[in-house]
Amino acid sequence: MIAFEGISKRYGAHQALQDVSFTLPKGQILGLLGQNGAGKTTAMNILTGCLAPSAGRVTVGGFDVLTQPRQAKRMLGYLPEQAPLYDEMTVRAYLRFACELKEVERKAVAAHVEAVAGKTGLTDVLDRKIGNLSKGYRQRVGIAQALCGAPEAIILDEPTAGLDPRQSSDVRKLVRELAGEHTVLFSSHILSEVQSVCDRIIILHHGRVICDSALQALRCGEQRLRAVIACGEGTLLPALRQLNSVSQVKTERGGEPGLTQVILTVKAGCPAERELFTLLSAMQAPLLRLAPAEESLEDIFLRATMDEG
Amino acid sequence: MFAIYRREMQSYFYTPAAYVFMGVFLALSSIFFGVTNLASRSCNLLELLSQMSYLWMLLSPLLAMRLIAGERRRHTDQLLLSSPCSLSGLVLGKFFAACTVLLITVGATGMYALIVALYGTLYAAETAVAYLGLILQGCAFLALDLFISCFAKSQTTAAAAGIGVNLLVWLADILASAVTVDWVSSVLNFISLYQRFAPFALGQLSLSNVLYNVLFMGVMLFLSVRVLDARRWSEA
Repeated sequence: MIAFEGISKRYGAHQALQDVSFTLPKGQILGLLGQNGAGKTTAMNILTGCLAPSAGRVTVGGFDVLTQPRQAKRMLGYLPEQAPLYDEMTVRAYLRFACELKEVERKAVAAHVEAVAGKTGLTDVLDRKIGNLSKGYRQRVGIAQALCGAPEAIILDEPTAGLDPRQSSDVRKLVRELAGEHTVLFSSHILSEVQSVCDRIIILHHGRVICDSALQALRCGEQRLRAVIACGEGTLLPALRQLNSVSQVKTERGGEPGLTQVILTVKAGCPAERELFTLLSAMQAPLLRLAPAEESLEDIFLRATMDEG
Repeated sequence: MFAIYRREMQSYFYTPAAYVFMGVFLALSSIFFGVTNLASRSCNLLELLSQMSYLWMLLSPLLAMRLIAGERRRHTDQLLLSSPCSLSGLVLGKFFAACTVLLITVGATGMYALIVALYGTLYAAETAVAYLGLILQGCAFLALDLFISCFAKSQTTAAAAGIGVNLLVWLADILASAVTVDWVSSVLNFISLYQRFAPFALGQLSLSNVLYNVLFMGVMLFLSVRVLDARRWSEA
Protein backbone atom coordinates (compact mmCIF):
# COMPACT_ATOMS: atom_id res chain seq x y z
CA MET A 1 0.00 0.00 0.00
CA ILE A 2 2.71 2.47 1.06
CA ALA A 3 6.38 2.09 0.15
CA PHE A 4 9.30 4.25 1.26
CA GLU A 5 12.27 3.56 -1.01
CA GLY A 6 15.58 4.99 0.21
CA ILE A 7 14.11 8.27 1.40
CA SER A 8 16.58 10.92 2.57
CA LYS A 9 15.84 14.50 3.50
CA ARG A 10 18.43 17.14 4.20
CA TYR A 11 17.81 20.65 5.57
CA GLY A 12 21.06 22.43 4.85
CA ALA A 13 23.67 20.70 7.02
CA HIS A 14 21.05 18.76 9.01
CA GLN A 15 20.21 15.26 7.82
CA ALA A 16 16.58 14.79 8.89
CA LEU A 17 16.07 11.39 7.23
CA GLN A 18 18.68 9.00 5.96
CA ASP A 19 17.92 6.17 3.57
CA VAL A 20 14.58 5.27 5.13
CA SER A 21 12.95 2.26 3.49
CA PHE A 22 9.91 0.29 4.57
CA THR A 23 6.61 -0.93 3.22
CA LEU A 24 3.22 -0.82 4.83
CA PRO A 25 0.83 -3.55 3.64
CA LYS A 26 -2.88 -2.97 3.35
CA GLY A 27 -4.81 -3.17 6.63
CA GLN A 28 -1.83 -2.88 8.96
CA ILE A 29 -1.47 -0.35 11.80
CA LEU A 30 2.11 0.80 11.86
CA GLY A 31 3.44 2.87 14.75
CA LEU A 32 6.23 5.26 13.93
CA LEU A 33 8.19 5.77 17.14
CA GLY A 34 10.99 8.13 17.89
CA GLN A 35 12.17 10.87 20.16
CA ASN A 36 11.35 14.48 19.30
CA GLY A 37 13.37 15.42 16.22
CA ALA A 38 13.85 11.79 15.12
CA GLY A 39 12.26 12.50 11.73
CA LYS A 40 8.71 11.18 12.21
CA THR A 41 6.92 14.33 11.04
CA THR A 42 9.33 14.79 8.15
CA ALA A 43 8.64 11.22 7.01
CA MET A 44 4.89 11.83 7.19
CA ASN A 45 5.12 15.15 5.38
CA ILE A 46 7.10 13.48 2.60
CA LEU A 47 4.54 10.67 2.39
CA THR A 48 1.68 13.14 2.03
CA GLY A 49 3.44 15.36 -0.49
CA CYS A 50 3.81 18.36 1.83
CA LEU A 51 7.58 17.98 1.52
CA ALA A 52 9.74 16.59 -1.24
CA PRO A 53 12.55 14.15 -0.41
CA SER A 54 16.19 14.95 -1.19
CA ALA A 55 16.58 11.37 -2.45
CA GLY A 56 14.42 8.29 -2.90
CA ARG A 57 10.73 7.96 -3.65
CA VAL A 58 7.47 7.23 -1.90
CA THR A 59 4.62 5.37 -3.56
CA VAL A 60 1.04 5.01 -2.40
CA GLY A 61 -0.91 2.22 -4.05
CA GLY A 62 1.81 2.12 -6.71
CA PHE A 63 1.55 5.85 -7.49
CA ASP A 64 4.57 8.06 -6.95
CA VAL A 65 3.66 10.92 -4.59
CA LEU A 66 5.85 13.39 -6.51
CA THR A 67 5.12 12.47 -10.12
CA GLN A 68 1.52 11.22 -9.76
CA PRO A 69 0.40 13.31 -6.80
CA ARG A 70 -3.30 13.40 -7.61
CA GLN A 71 -3.74 9.62 -7.74
CA ALA A 72 -1.51 9.06 -4.72
CA LYS A 73 -3.09 11.74 -2.54
CA ARG A 74 -6.60 10.49 -3.28
CA MET A 75 -5.65 7.39 -1.33
CA LEU A 76 -4.39 9.29 1.69
CA GLY A 77 -6.01 11.03 4.64
CA TYR A 78 -3.62 13.07 6.77
CA LEU A 79 -3.91 14.51 10.24
CA PRO A 80 -0.78 16.59 10.84
CA GLU A 81 0.62 17.20 14.32
CA GLN A 82 -1.45 20.38 14.60
CA ALA A 83 -4.95 19.73 13.27
CA PRO A 84 -5.44 21.91 10.18
CA LEU A 85 -8.70 23.61 11.17
CA TYR A 86 -10.46 26.81 10.16
CA ASP A 87 -11.90 28.21 13.39
CA GLU A 88 -14.46 30.41 11.67
CA MET A 89 -16.14 27.45 9.90
CA THR A 90 -18.75 25.10 11.28
CA VAL A 91 -17.78 21.43 11.50
CA ARG A 92 -20.23 20.64 8.69
CA ALA A 93 -18.86 23.34 6.37
CA TYR A 94 -15.31 22.25 7.11
CA LEU A 95 -16.01 18.58 6.40
CA ARG A 96 -17.84 19.57 3.20
CA PHE A 97 -14.73 21.46 2.17
CA ALA A 98 -12.53 18.47 3.00
CA CYS A 99 -14.81 16.25 0.89
CA GLU A 100 -14.64 18.66 -2.03
CA LEU A 101 -10.84 18.78 -1.74
CA LYS A 102 -10.78 14.97 -1.83
CA GLU A 103 -12.96 15.06 -4.95
CA VAL A 104 -15.99 13.35 -3.43
CA GLU A 105 -18.89 13.54 -5.88
CA ARG A 106 -21.01 16.61 -5.17
CA LYS A 107 -24.24 14.67 -4.74
CA ALA A 108 -22.63 12.33 -2.24
CA VAL A 109 -20.98 15.01 -0.09
CA ALA A 110 -23.84 15.57 2.41
CA ALA A 111 -24.25 11.85 3.12
CA HIS A 112 -20.49 11.39 3.32
CA VAL A 113 -20.18 14.19 5.88
CA GLU A 114 -22.91 12.60 8.01
CA ALA A 115 -21.21 9.21 7.81
CA VAL A 116 -17.78 10.54 8.76
CA ALA A 117 -19.28 12.60 11.60
CA GLY A 118 -21.09 9.53 12.88
CA LYS A 119 -17.90 7.48 12.82
CA THR A 120 -15.92 10.10 14.73
CA GLY A 121 -18.66 11.06 17.21
CA LEU A 122 -19.22 14.54 15.81
CA THR A 123 -22.89 14.32 14.88
CA ASP A 124 -23.99 16.49 17.80
CA VAL A 125 -21.55 19.30 17.01
CA LEU A 126 -21.86 19.39 13.22
CA ASP A 127 -23.35 22.88 13.22
CA ARG A 128 -21.05 24.37 15.84
CA LYS A 129 -18.11 26.59 14.97
CA ILE A 130 -14.78 24.79 15.17
CA GLY A 131 -13.29 27.69 17.14
CA ASN A 132 -15.78 27.01 19.97
CA LEU A 133 -14.97 23.30 20.33
CA SER A 134 -12.85 21.67 23.04
CA LYS A 135 -9.39 20.34 22.19
CA GLY A 136 -10.70 16.76 22.13
CA TYR A 137 -13.45 17.58 19.68
CA ARG A 138 -11.08 19.62 17.54
CA GLN A 139 -8.83 16.59 17.28
CA ARG A 140 -11.83 14.49 16.28
CA VAL A 141 -12.63 17.03 13.56
CA GLY A 142 -9.02 16.67 12.38
CA ILE A 143 -9.40 12.90 12.22
CA ALA A 144 -12.77 13.28 10.48
CA GLN A 145 -11.23 15.41 7.71
CA ALA A 146 -8.58 12.71 7.25
CA LEU A 147 -11.41 10.20 6.72
CA CYS A 148 -13.18 12.32 4.11
CA GLY A 149 -13.06 10.76 0.66
CA ALA A 150 -12.74 7.27 2.19
CA PRO A 151 -8.95 7.09 1.73
CA GLU A 152 -7.32 3.70 1.92
CA ALA A 153 -4.53 4.91 4.19
CA ILE A 154 -4.79 7.23 7.18
CA ILE A 155 -1.70 9.07 8.38
CA LEU A 156 -1.90 10.37 11.95
CA ASP A 157 0.93 12.46 13.34
CA GLU A 158 0.81 12.37 17.15
CA PRO A 159 -3.00 12.46 17.24
CA THR A 160 -3.19 12.48 21.05
CA ALA A 161 -0.68 15.29 21.62
CA GLY A 162 -2.05 17.85 24.08
CA LEU A 163 -5.15 15.83 24.99
CA ASP A 164 -6.14 14.87 28.52
CA PRO A 165 -6.04 11.13 29.42
CA ARG A 166 -9.75 10.64 28.73
CA GLN A 167 -9.56 12.33 25.34
CA SER A 168 -6.38 10.40 24.48
CA SER A 169 -8.14 7.17 25.31
CA ASP A 170 -11.10 8.13 23.08
CA VAL A 171 -8.78 8.95 20.18
CA ARG A 172 -6.90 5.64 20.60
CA LYS A 173 -10.20 3.79 20.59
CA LEU A 174 -11.19 5.61 17.44
CA VAL A 175 -7.90 4.70 15.75
CA ARG A 176 -8.38 1.04 16.65
CA GLU A 177 -11.85 1.17 15.10
CA LEU A 178 -10.39 2.63 11.90
CA ALA A 179 -7.98 -0.24 11.61
CA GLY A 180 -10.56 -2.61 10.18
CA GLU A 181 -11.21 -0.47 7.12
CA HIS A 182 -8.00 1.47 6.62
CA THR A 183 -4.26 1.10 6.62
CA VAL A 184 -3.00 3.33 9.43
CA LEU A 185 0.37 4.98 9.96
CA PHE A 186 0.46 6.40 13.46
CA SER A 187 3.29 8.38 14.97
CA SER A 188 3.90 9.02 18.63
CA HIS A 189 6.62 9.32 21.21
CA ILE A 190 4.30 7.89 23.86
CA LEU A 191 5.26 4.24 23.95
CA SER A 192 2.22 2.86 25.75
CA GLU A 193 0.04 4.47 23.13
CA VAL A 194 1.80 2.71 20.28
CA GLN A 195 1.73 -0.50 22.31
CA SER A 196 -2.05 -0.30 22.66
CA VAL A 197 -2.86 0.65 19.08
CA CYS A 198 -0.29 -0.72 16.65
CA ASP A 199 0.60 -4.20 15.46
CA ARG A 200 3.98 -3.24 14.06
CA ILE A 201 6.48 -0.56 14.99
CA ILE A 202 9.30 1.28 13.31
CA ILE A 203 11.71 3.17 15.53
CA LEU A 204 13.34 6.18 13.95
CA HIS A 205 16.47 7.58 15.54
CA HIS A 206 18.46 10.48 14.13
CA GLY A 207 16.58 10.04 10.85
CA ARG A 208 17.37 6.34 10.43
CA VAL A 209 15.25 3.23 10.91
CA ILE A 210 16.83 1.34 13.79
CA CYS A 211 14.05 -1.14 14.40
CA ASP A 212 11.26 -2.45 12.18
CA SER A 213 9.36 -5.31 13.67
CA ALA A 214 5.95 -6.70 14.57
CA LEU A 215 5.18 -5.88 18.18
CA GLN A 216 4.75 -9.56 19.04
CA ALA A 217 8.09 -10.47 17.48
CA LEU A 218 9.83 -7.88 19.63
CA ARG A 219 8.70 -9.70 22.72
CA CYS A 220 8.69 -13.32 21.62
CA GLY A 221 11.37 -15.88 22.27
CA GLU A 222 12.30 -16.57 25.86
CA GLN A 223 9.75 -15.79 28.55
CA ARG A 224 10.85 -13.84 31.61
CA LEU A 225 9.55 -14.31 35.14
CA ARG A 226 9.99 -12.03 38.12
CA ALA A 227 10.16 -13.94 41.44
CA VAL A 228 10.43 -12.68 45.03
CA ILE A 229 11.79 -15.39 47.33
CA ALA A 230 12.39 -15.33 51.09
CA CYS A 231 15.93 -16.64 50.97
CA GLY A 232 19.46 -15.27 50.93
CA GLU A 233 21.19 -14.72 47.56
CA GLY A 234 24.18 -16.86 48.50
CA THR A 235 22.33 -20.19 48.60
CA LEU A 236 19.48 -19.29 46.24
CA LEU A 237 21.26 -18.12 43.09
CA PRO A 238 23.49 -21.24 42.56
CA ALA A 239 20.41 -23.45 43.01
CA LEU A 240 18.33 -21.45 40.52
CA ARG A 241 21.13 -21.64 37.96
CA GLN A 242 20.94 -25.43 38.15
CA LEU A 243 17.33 -25.46 36.87
CA ASN A 244 17.04 -27.03 33.43
CA SER A 245 14.31 -24.70 32.25
CA VAL A 246 16.12 -21.47 33.21
CA SER A 247 18.74 -20.01 30.91
CA GLN A 248 19.59 -16.88 32.89
CA VAL A 249 19.17 -15.59 36.42
CA LYS A 250 19.47 -11.89 37.22
CA THR A 251 19.02 -10.34 40.63
CA GLU A 252 17.14 -7.08 41.01
CA ARG A 253 18.23 -4.61 43.66
CA GLY A 254 16.00 -2.66 45.98
CA GLY A 255 14.05 -5.52 47.57
CA GLU A 256 13.22 -5.85 51.24
CA PRO A 257 15.90 -7.23 53.61
CA GLY A 258 15.91 -11.03 53.69
CA LEU A 259 14.12 -11.24 50.32
CA THR A 260 15.70 -11.87 46.97
CA GLN A 261 14.12 -10.53 43.79
CA VAL A 262 15.22 -12.27 40.61
CA ILE A 263 14.38 -12.20 36.90
CA LEU A 264 14.46 -15.70 35.45
CA THR A 265 14.79 -16.08 31.70
CA VAL A 266 12.92 -19.25 30.82
CA LYS A 267 13.83 -21.38 27.81
CA ALA A 268 11.05 -21.43 25.18
CA GLY A 269 8.49 -24.20 25.85
CA CYS A 270 9.89 -25.22 29.27
CA PRO A 271 7.58 -25.48 32.31
CA ALA A 272 9.76 -23.45 34.65
CA GLU A 273 7.08 -22.82 37.29
CA ARG A 274 6.76 -26.52 38.31
CA GLU A 275 10.54 -26.96 38.52
CA LEU A 276 10.87 -23.74 40.51
CA PHE A 277 8.19 -24.69 43.05
CA THR A 278 9.76 -28.10 43.56
CA LEU A 279 13.20 -26.60 44.11
CA LEU A 280 12.04 -23.88 46.52
CA SER A 281 9.90 -26.36 48.43
CA ALA A 282 12.91 -28.62 48.92
CA MET A 283 14.97 -25.62 50.05
CA GLN A 284 12.16 -24.47 52.35
CA ALA A 285 12.41 -21.06 50.72
CA PRO A 286 8.94 -19.49 50.49
CA LEU A 287 8.02 -18.03 47.08
CA LEU A 288 6.26 -14.74 47.85
CA ARG A 289 5.55 -13.50 44.34
CA LEU A 290 5.83 -14.86 40.81
CA ALA A 291 4.76 -12.84 37.76
CA PRO A 292 5.65 -12.52 34.10
CA ALA A 293 8.30 -9.83 33.56
CA GLU A 294 7.55 -8.70 30.03
CA GLU A 295 9.96 -6.31 28.45
CA SER A 296 7.94 -3.15 27.94
CA LEU A 297 8.03 -1.20 24.74
CA GLU A 298 9.85 1.46 26.71
CA ASP A 299 12.64 -1.05 27.42
CA ILE A 300 12.77 -2.00 23.75
CA PHE A 301 12.81 1.65 22.70
CA LEU A 302 15.52 2.63 25.19
CA ARG A 303 17.61 -0.42 24.28
CA ALA A 304 17.29 0.33 20.56
CA THR A 305 18.09 4.04 20.85
CA MET A 306 20.97 3.41 23.32
CA ASP A 307 22.52 0.79 21.07
CA GLU A 308 22.53 3.33 18.27
CA GLY A 309 23.98 6.05 20.50
CA MET B 1 -9.71 24.80 -7.47
CA PHE B 2 -13.47 25.42 -7.05
CA ALA B 3 -13.36 23.98 -3.54
CA ILE B 4 -10.55 26.39 -2.66
CA TYR B 5 -12.42 29.27 -4.29
CA ARG B 6 -15.64 28.53 -2.40
CA ARG B 7 -13.90 28.17 0.94
CA GLU B 8 -11.94 31.36 0.44
CA MET B 9 -15.12 33.26 -0.42
CA GLN B 10 -16.83 31.89 2.68
CA SER B 11 -13.82 32.81 4.75
CA TYR B 12 -13.80 36.40 3.44
CA PHE B 13 -17.41 36.87 4.52
CA TYR B 14 -17.28 34.77 7.73
CA THR B 15 -14.50 37.04 8.99
CA PRO B 16 -14.23 40.85 8.94
CA ALA B 17 -11.67 40.79 6.09
CA ALA B 18 -14.03 41.48 3.18
CA TYR B 19 -16.20 43.90 5.17
CA VAL B 20 -13.20 45.96 6.28
CA PHE B 21 -11.85 46.06 2.72
CA MET B 22 -15.19 47.01 1.20
CA GLY B 23 -16.04 49.46 3.97
CA VAL B 24 -12.75 51.36 3.81
CA PHE B 25 -12.69 51.37 0.01
CA LEU B 26 -16.28 52.58 -0.32
CA ALA B 27 -15.93 55.16 2.46
CA LEU B 28 -12.82 56.70 0.89
CA SER B 29 -14.16 56.53 -2.65
CA SER B 30 -17.39 58.18 -1.49
CA ILE B 31 -15.36 61.04 -0.04
CA PHE B 32 -13.52 61.32 -3.37
CA PHE B 33 -16.88 61.29 -5.21
CA GLY B 34 -18.28 63.97 -2.92
CA VAL B 35 -15.28 66.25 -3.41
CA THR B 36 -14.53 65.53 -7.08
CA ASN B 37 -18.02 65.24 -8.52
CA LEU B 38 -20.74 66.42 -6.17
CA ALA B 39 -19.05 69.51 -4.72
CA SER B 40 -17.69 70.63 -8.08
CA ARG B 41 -20.83 69.52 -9.98
CA SER B 42 -18.74 67.47 -12.43
CA CYS B 43 -20.09 64.58 -14.54
CA ASN B 44 -16.59 63.34 -15.32
CA LEU B 45 -15.99 60.09 -13.42
CA LEU B 46 -12.54 59.50 -14.93
CA GLU B 47 -10.86 61.73 -12.37
CA LEU B 48 -12.66 59.87 -9.56
CA LEU B 49 -11.61 56.45 -10.90
CA SER B 50 -8.05 57.68 -11.21
CA GLN B 51 -8.10 58.68 -7.53
CA MET B 52 -9.66 55.35 -6.58
CA SER B 53 -6.82 53.51 -8.29
CA TYR B 54 -4.45 54.76 -5.56
CA LEU B 55 -6.48 52.90 -2.95
CA TRP B 56 -5.33 49.55 -4.35
CA MET B 57 -1.78 49.93 -3.13
CA LEU B 58 -2.98 50.42 0.44
CA LEU B 59 -5.98 48.09 0.51
CA SER B 60 -4.99 45.20 -1.76
CA PRO B 61 -2.76 43.67 1.00
CA LEU B 62 -5.87 43.50 3.23
CA LEU B 63 -7.34 40.94 0.87
CA ALA B 64 -4.14 39.19 -0.16
CA MET B 65 -2.20 38.93 3.11
CA ARG B 66 -4.26 35.99 4.35
CA LEU B 67 -4.19 33.99 1.16
CA ILE B 68 -1.01 31.99 1.75
CA ALA B 69 0.50 33.44 4.95
CA GLY B 70 -2.79 32.83 6.79
CA GLU B 71 -2.73 29.16 5.83
CA ARG B 72 0.83 28.78 7.05
CA ARG B 73 0.08 30.48 10.36
CA ARG B 74 -2.85 28.14 11.02
CA HIS B 75 -1.00 25.09 9.64
CA THR B 76 -3.91 24.54 7.25
CA ASP B 77 -1.44 24.62 4.38
CA GLN B 78 -0.77 20.95 5.16
CA LEU B 79 -4.43 20.14 4.53
CA LEU B 80 -4.23 21.80 1.13
CA LEU B 81 -0.81 20.43 0.17
CA SER B 82 -1.76 16.86 1.10
CA SER B 83 -4.99 17.04 -0.93
CA PRO B 84 -5.25 16.03 -4.59
CA CYS B 85 -5.60 19.73 -5.53
CA SER B 86 -2.61 20.98 -7.54
CA LEU B 87 -0.53 23.98 -6.48
CA SER B 88 -1.75 25.96 -9.50
CA GLY B 89 -5.36 25.11 -8.58
CA LEU B 90 -4.67 26.27 -5.05
CA VAL B 91 -3.15 29.59 -6.14
CA LEU B 92 -5.81 30.26 -8.81
CA GLY B 93 -8.68 29.41 -6.46
CA LYS B 94 -7.41 31.88 -3.90
CA PHE B 95 -6.62 34.56 -6.47
CA PHE B 96 -10.06 34.37 -8.09
CA ALA B 97 -11.76 34.59 -4.69
CA ALA B 98 -9.83 37.78 -3.88
CA CYS B 99 -10.67 39.14 -7.35
CA THR B 100 -14.36 38.40 -6.74
CA VAL B 101 -14.36 40.48 -3.54
CA LEU B 102 -12.60 43.23 -5.47
CA LEU B 103 -15.20 43.05 -8.28
CA ILE B 104 -18.09 43.21 -5.80
CA THR B 105 -16.49 46.29 -4.24
CA VAL B 106 -15.92 47.98 -7.59
CA GLY B 107 -19.46 46.97 -8.59
CA ALA B 108 -20.79 48.84 -5.55
CA THR B 109 -19.14 52.04 -6.81
CA GLY B 110 -21.49 51.79 -9.80
CA MET B 111 -23.84 53.85 -7.65
CA TYR B 112 -21.70 56.90 -8.45
CA ALA B 113 -22.24 56.31 -12.16
CA LEU B 114 -25.94 55.86 -11.49
CA ILE B 115 -26.13 59.17 -9.59
CA VAL B 116 -24.27 60.94 -12.42
CA ALA B 117 -26.53 59.29 -15.04
CA LEU B 118 -29.66 60.36 -13.12
CA TYR B 119 -28.66 63.96 -12.48
CA GLY B 120 -26.24 64.71 -15.31
CA THR B 121 -24.60 63.17 -18.36
CA LEU B 122 -22.63 59.97 -18.02
CA TYR B 123 -19.84 59.38 -20.53
CA ALA B 124 -20.57 55.68 -20.59
CA ALA B 125 -17.87 54.38 -22.97
CA GLU B 126 -15.02 56.33 -21.37
CA THR B 127 -16.23 55.44 -17.89
CA ALA B 128 -16.46 51.73 -18.80
CA VAL B 129 -12.88 51.79 -20.13
CA ALA B 130 -11.65 53.48 -16.95
CA TYR B 131 -13.49 50.89 -14.87
CA LEU B 132 -11.81 48.11 -16.90
CA GLY B 133 -8.42 49.68 -16.19
CA LEU B 134 -9.27 50.06 -12.50
CA ILE B 135 -10.28 46.40 -12.20
CA LEU B 136 -7.23 45.15 -14.12
CA GLN B 137 -4.93 47.25 -11.97
CA GLY B 138 -6.60 46.06 -8.78
CA CYS B 139 -6.26 42.42 -9.83
CA ALA B 140 -2.61 43.01 -10.76
CA PHE B 141 -1.95 44.38 -7.26
CA LEU B 142 -3.74 41.36 -5.77
CA ALA B 143 -1.52 39.00 -7.78
CA LEU B 144 1.58 40.89 -6.63
CA ASP B 145 0.48 40.81 -2.98
CA LEU B 146 -0.47 37.12 -3.20
CA PHE B 147 3.06 36.46 -4.40
CA ILE B 148 4.43 38.40 -1.41
CA SER B 149 2.09 36.47 0.91
CA CYS B 150 3.89 33.28 -0.19
CA PHE B 151 7.04 34.44 1.61
CA ALA B 152 5.47 35.41 4.93
CA LYS B 153 4.53 33.26 7.90
CA SER B 154 2.21 35.79 9.46
CA GLN B 155 -0.51 37.91 7.92
CA THR B 156 0.88 41.08 9.53
CA THR B 157 4.26 40.55 7.88
CA ALA B 158 2.55 39.82 4.56
CA ALA B 159 0.45 43.00 4.83
CA ALA B 160 3.41 45.21 5.81
CA ALA B 161 5.59 43.78 3.04
CA GLY B 162 2.71 44.07 0.57
CA ILE B 163 2.14 47.76 1.32
CA GLY B 164 5.91 48.36 1.10
CA VAL B 165 6.23 46.71 -2.31
CA ASN B 166 3.07 48.43 -3.58
CA LEU B 167 4.53 51.78 -2.58
CA LEU B 168 7.71 50.88 -4.46
CA VAL B 169 5.62 50.16 -7.56
CA TRP B 170 4.01 53.58 -7.13
CA LEU B 171 7.42 55.18 -6.54
CA ALA B 172 8.69 53.60 -9.74
CA ASP B 173 6.28 55.89 -11.55
CA ILE B 174 7.60 58.99 -9.78
CA LEU B 175 11.23 57.91 -10.02
CA ALA B 176 10.87 57.27 -13.75
CA SER B 177 10.18 60.94 -14.34
CA ALA B 178 12.98 62.03 -11.98
CA VAL B 179 15.75 59.75 -13.28
CA THR B 180 17.83 61.18 -16.14
CA VAL B 181 19.34 57.88 -17.33
CA ASP B 182 17.12 56.74 -20.21
CA TRP B 183 17.27 52.99 -19.77
CA VAL B 184 16.64 53.19 -16.01
CA SER B 185 13.70 55.44 -16.68
CA SER B 186 12.40 52.94 -19.28
CA VAL B 187 12.68 50.03 -16.86
CA LEU B 188 10.89 51.98 -14.13
CA ASN B 189 8.16 52.97 -16.57
CA PHE B 190 7.81 49.34 -17.65
CA ILE B 191 7.23 48.03 -14.16
CA SER B 192 4.90 50.86 -13.14
CA LEU B 193 1.32 49.68 -12.89
CA TYR B 194 0.22 53.31 -12.64
CA GLN B 195 1.89 54.18 -15.93
CA ARG B 196 -0.21 51.38 -17.50
CA PHE B 197 -3.35 52.77 -15.96
CA ALA B 198 -2.85 56.28 -17.38
CA PRO B 199 -4.49 55.61 -20.81
CA PHE B 200 -7.51 53.96 -19.14
CA ALA B 201 -7.89 57.00 -16.91
CA LEU B 202 -8.20 59.09 -20.06
CA GLY B 203 -10.90 56.75 -21.39
CA GLN B 204 -8.57 55.22 -24.00
CA LEU B 205 -8.83 51.47 -24.46
CA SER B 206 -5.30 50.16 -24.98
CA LEU B 207 -4.97 46.50 -25.86
CA SER B 208 -1.27 46.48 -25.02
CA ASN B 209 -1.99 47.73 -21.52
CA VAL B 210 -4.76 45.18 -21.07
CA LEU B 211 -2.31 42.47 -22.11
CA TYR B 212 0.39 43.91 -19.87
CA ASN B 213 -1.86 43.68 -16.83
CA VAL B 214 -2.98 40.14 -17.68
CA LEU B 215 0.62 39.10 -18.27
CA PHE B 216 1.70 40.74 -15.01
CA MET B 217 -0.94 38.70 -13.14
CA GLY B 218 0.11 35.52 -14.95
CA VAL B 219 3.78 36.02 -14.04
CA MET B 220 2.99 36.76 -10.38
CA LEU B 221 0.73 33.71 -10.08
CA PHE B 222 3.30 31.50 -11.81
CA LEU B 223 6.00 32.74 -9.44
CA SER B 224 3.69 32.08 -6.47
CA VAL B 225 3.28 28.47 -7.58
CA ARG B 226 7.06 28.15 -8.00
CA VAL B 227 7.69 29.57 -4.50
CA LEU B 228 5.22 27.12 -2.93
CA ASP B 229 6.75 24.24 -4.84
CA ALA B 230 10.30 25.28 -3.95
CA ARG B 231 9.37 25.41 -0.26
CA ARG B 232 8.48 21.71 -0.34
CA TRP B 233 12.08 20.99 -1.26
CA SER B 234 13.71 23.27 1.26
CA GLU B 235 11.43 23.89 4.23
CA ALA B 236 12.36 22.64 7.66
